[in-house]
Amino acid sequence: MSSALLWIILPVVLGVALLFYRRENTTPLLLASAISLFLAWAAWQLPLDVVMQLGPFSVEIAPSFIMFGRSFTLTQAHAPLLAFIYLLQSFWILGAYLAKPGRLFVPVSLVCVGLLVASLAVEPFLYTALLIAIAAMLMIPLLAPSGVAPGSGVQRFLKFQIFAVPFILFTGWILSGVEASPGNLNLALRAGLLLALGFAFLLALFPFHSWIPMLAGQSHPYVFGFLIFFLPSIALIFALGFFDRYAWLRESSFAYPLVVWSGSLATLVAGLWAAVEHSPPRIFGFAAMAGIGFGLQAIGLGGLQSAQVLFALLLPYAFAVWIWAVALGVISMDQGHSGDLRSAVSTHPLTFAALVMAALSLSGMPMLGSFPGRLALLDGVAAVLPVAAAATLIGSLGLLIGVVRLLLASLPLSMDRGTAWKEEVEIGEPRKKMSELTNLYIWAFLAFSAISLFGFGLLPRLFLASTSSLAAMFSQLLP
Amino acid sequence: MVETFFAYLLLGLLVANCLVLLLSRDWRWSLAALGFQYLIAFSLVSASWPLELAAVKLVAGWMATAILGISYLNMQGQPEEDEGFPRSRAFLALAAGLVIILVFGVAPSLATWSPLFATNQAWGGLFLTGMGIMQVGLGSRLFRNFLGLLTLLAGFETLYAAVETSILVAGLLAILNLGVALIGSYLMLSPGLDSRA
Repeated sequence: MSSALLWIILPVVLGVALLFYRRENTTPLLLASAISLFLAWAAWQLPLDVVMQLGPFSVEIAPSFIMFGRSFTLTQAHAPLLAFIYLLQSFWILGAYLAKPGRLFVPVSLVCVGLLVASLAVEPFLYTALLIAIAAMLMIPLLAPSGVAPGSGVQRFLKFQIFAVPFILFTGWILSGVEASPGNLNLALRAGLLLALGFAFLLALFPFHSWIPMLAGQSHPYVFGFLIFFLPSIALIFALGFFDRYAWLRESSFAYPLVVWSGSLATLVAGLWAAVEHSPPRIFGFAAMAGIGFGLQAIGLGGLQSAQVLFALLLPYAFAVWIWAVALGVISMDQGHSGDLRSAVSTHPLTFAALVMAALSLSGMPMLGSFPGRLALLDGVAAVLPVAAAATLIGSLGLLIGVVRLLLASLPLSMDRGTAWKEEVEIGEPRKKMSELTNLYIWAFLAFSAISLFGFGLLPRLFLASTSSLAAMFSQLLP
Repeated sequence: MVETFFAYLLLGLLVANCLVLLLSRDWRWSLAALGFQYLIAFSLVSASWPLELAAVKLVAGWMATAILGISYLNMQGQPEEDEGFPRSRAFLALAAGLVIILVFGVAPSLATWSPLFATNQAWGGLFLTGMGIMQVGLGSRLFRNFLGLLTLLAGFETLYAAVETSILVAGLLAILNLGVALIGSYLMLSPGLDSRA
């Protein structure tokens, strides 16, 4: 048995099989979450490339799988990342029970995660861009459900993801030339320019970011949350892989500052837009855009620190995005995709509380998940590029202003007393509130949200202990 | 001498075909031009790839064309061109002229830079890429956007074939082409589909 069979082919095959399951019940959800949890456990516990005795049988998980002359390789170094990805996937599948993103979400998300894992495993690793583009295409039916005219955000998203493919694939070819003659500055600059353009499209960097707020406002928040976490996160890990593999890129004078500046610009633009935005899903989009910017800056720190800070940012970010997406998904069932939070305070008090925690965590508030990672990041960036750190701070402040304005506008205190009282006594509202207060799943969701977000914020040594093992897959970045 | 003549003939056909694709208002002509475009791209790619591998691009391209054609046949009422899309044929022909001038400038230097690129392959690939980007940029209608994306991918594949001969890449690019056509078909038809399906 090969690792690709377990962590790539199994979820893809299961996802395709579940597409044909037509009944409206929880069987696909339970099956898919059980398989995802099993895959996370297997990545955590099972050794790769070692013969194991299971009773009378001996099993070995080979790290490589050859397909059409190219290999898909998942070694022991990938195991922590695989465990992280499949643990998160099980959360996304379980969260679908509350957020109701549609029947297709569970199978399609499983196939997408299988493809994204394949993108990390494929050798030569530049083919990653193709697999990410295929995964992005699979998400389209979820983003633009049937029966509704597709929004412009979906089209723009697809165009930009496809535009990224030629740039990154050509970069791979030029990079082989750069490796052969590292002194050729002209060739290195061409490769750098193509690479920068490819990643600008892939990661939705300024000025190719416009699809993020558009899509956030037009699609189901849970589907958008899944997309905006998994695609850019895998792309960021892919980007870090470039620095791990190419010594000339690590040693070049322009690469790291360029990456830090791109990240700072993304954060600044996201923060400024978020500060003047009113729609909750669009603020979610800008927060995710800022998250991509923070990730890029982490890569720009260089050395082992870049991988460690990147994962210290990604772990709490993953949970905060999931919590925000679940909460917005639950609220949007009543309010529609516009996500008006004003009545959500009275109808969904527990979900709203979880949303507040996630929003504040994504905006970098102390004591919450993202704070330790952001602090380490700003410390590192300020040491090398103080102006970029200042731009990041302004962006973070803008994001915080946007989130605080959103929350203040949602609270009855911000309205005149008459309006607030009217909302409280509207017929049907107390019943909805009661139904949420007696819903055990919502209580469990709130408890999990509080434990995870405050845990990452208050006990980073415990909750972020796995960052060094996650960073170990980038062996060339080690000192 | 004969080879040069055929190379120029091929490029001439490519330009004429792309102009039909761009200027035609009838979807049947547009799809016929798209199908013919894949035949020209196939002949450009077959200079670097074995015939059986190059045929993958032709088959995938024709399948993508067929998918878009069947979707258009099934559309309930064919939507008019969006007001935002420039309708004037003169404007579109001028824009195509700009792409041709740009490609005339860039293609020889690309062929000089790397001996892997034959001149007509560099010319054809860059021209298709340029026309694809132009269509995607100008088209505000789904059908035009997807024609542009498929043209862009055909141009890129023509160029990339010169530097990469992997079967896996050929397969993944074929999947990408078919995926773009299927997504185009889905988005064109989705407003009329049953939301419970």
